[in-house]
Amino acid sequence: MDDVASPAGATAPVISVAGVGIRFRRNRRGRRSFKDLFSDSRRRSRPGEFWALRDVSFDVRPGEAIGVVGRNGQGKSTLLKLVAEVILPDTGRVVVRGGVAPLIEITGGFVADLTVRDNVYLTAGLHGMSRAEIDERFDEIIDFAEIAAFVDTPYKHLSSGMKVRIAFAVISRLDEPVILVDEVLAVGDAAFREKCYRRIEQMLADGRTLFLVSHNERDLKRFCDRGLYLDGGQLVLDGPIEEALARYRSDHPPRPAA
Amino acid sequence: MSTALAERPRRSGAARYRQTLWLLTSRDLKVRYSTSALGYVWSILDPLVMAGIYYFVFQVVFQRDVGAEPYIVFLLSGLLPWMWFNGAVSDSTRAFLREAKLVRSTKIPRTIWVLRLVGSKGIEFALSLPVLALFAVLGGAHLQWQVVFFPLAMVMQAVLVAGVGLIVAPLVVFFRDLERATKLALRFLFYASPIIYGTNDLPEQLHVLAAFNPLSGIFGLYRSAFFPEQLDVLEALVGGGMCLALLAVGLVVFRRSERAVLKEI
Repeated sequence: MDDVASPAGATAPVISVAGVGIRFRRNRRGRRSFKDLFSDSRRRSRPGEFWALRDVSFDVRPGEAIGVVGRNGQGKSTLLKLVAEVILPDTGRVVVRGGVAPLIEITGGFVADLTVRDNVYLTAGLHGMSRAEIDERFDEIIDFAEIAAFVDTPYKHLSSGMKVRIAFAVISRLDEPVILVDEVLAVGDAAFREKCYRRIEQMLADGRTLFLVSHNERDLKRFCDRGLYLDGGQLVLDGPIEEALARYRSDHPPRPAA
Repeated sequence: MSTALAERPRRSGAARYRQTLWLLTSRDLKVRYSTSALGYVWSILDPLVMAGIYYFVFQVVFQRDVGAEPYIVFLLSGLLPWMWFNGAVSDSTRAFLREAKLVRSTKIPRTIWVLRLVGSKGIEFALSLPVLALFAVLGGAHLQWQVVFFPLAMVMQAVLVAGVGLIVAPLVVFFRDLERATKLALRFLFYASPIIYGTNDLPEQLHVLAAFNPLSGIFGLYRSAFFPEQLDVLEALVGGGMCLALLAVGLVVFRRSERAVLKEI
């Protein structure tokens, strides 16, 4: 219990992002040649490309809950994907110690033609759980998703709500030290959403590290203690969540209702 | 209590890689066999029908003296591995695009998207071998000691398919035209490889060129199990070198384009 109050320098960071930059093409139909596909000059910006993130650096210590704040298109989701290591930075380094449970595109790994049971084993396995671990948690996952009657139903026959529920249940049971959440919680009915929130709170209480991207101030304040404010691909502010939100509000005041 | 989170024993990278590869390979087979009534039959029906057609055309219509007797065994011993090569390479054009959602949401090593195709098509090939054995018995072909080269040929083919897949899969993401170009190239390669004929049926001046098609050496090794005269050691050696070279090129291409692929899908 008391290690929560231990000095900041005492623990090694779980996530360490150093000088990270990534650029994308502006137009999908842009011309590409073999030459620039393989060119090594990663630092140079080419015409038709923009930096989604540039020179972003921060460390996250175990147990921290971080909220990422910013307007649409300022690199929030890109940052989350970099931490999940599903995309790779053009400059700098992202180091994540320990595994990550990414609540990003959570239904992505599910196969329409396979049953719920097969899908749970497949998705949990792809995220690194062993068969024995899945066996152990299988009933709990199904309970949480409230779809005990549909275990042997092909995934494609589930309602969209059930699909999200089973996906959340699997990923949130991964037992990884870092959880990444990207607004997936906007889906599902209010009761299930609250259940997800409680699950996340419980995981935080267990000492996990949370990385949350959201536009919802209430959610950010509920879960997070530290905020990262991104604007124009730069990390503008790294401080307490209240401060990050205040800065965000003052930079981008909500438009007065007409 | 220093930490509430129990440290889970982390398995090594290689064990993790194998588990993931196996999960995806078995997923493919499971999907294939759970969605079609005939399941396994399809993976042997295709080469059987093709073998029937070629047998009819070349043996009955043209009565050409290519290959070796029994011709149906000769044909199948080239066609079955060709199905593996053809299936894996043409599927690798969609390796990333078909699985885009999964690629975007999991951080499993990206080479798996290609290697699992090598695996699943290779397993289908292995499962179709009883058909070859059946026809060998029916046709009265005699098994030679050269059958020991069979596993070697499989390894060489796995290396070759992996190499080509690692080149094709990432490049298709940027150049969609490559998907159709690959299909065309495969059709060309079917006739340019010793499947319906053997390399010793080729005119003398084409032999050197044929050796640089790694499939020549590989199919020669497979066939030597029944037809020892089909094995050309030099061809097999050049083929082996080509396989390794293609794998090396594939790894380089894949490594250098990986970051761009992930942004694109």
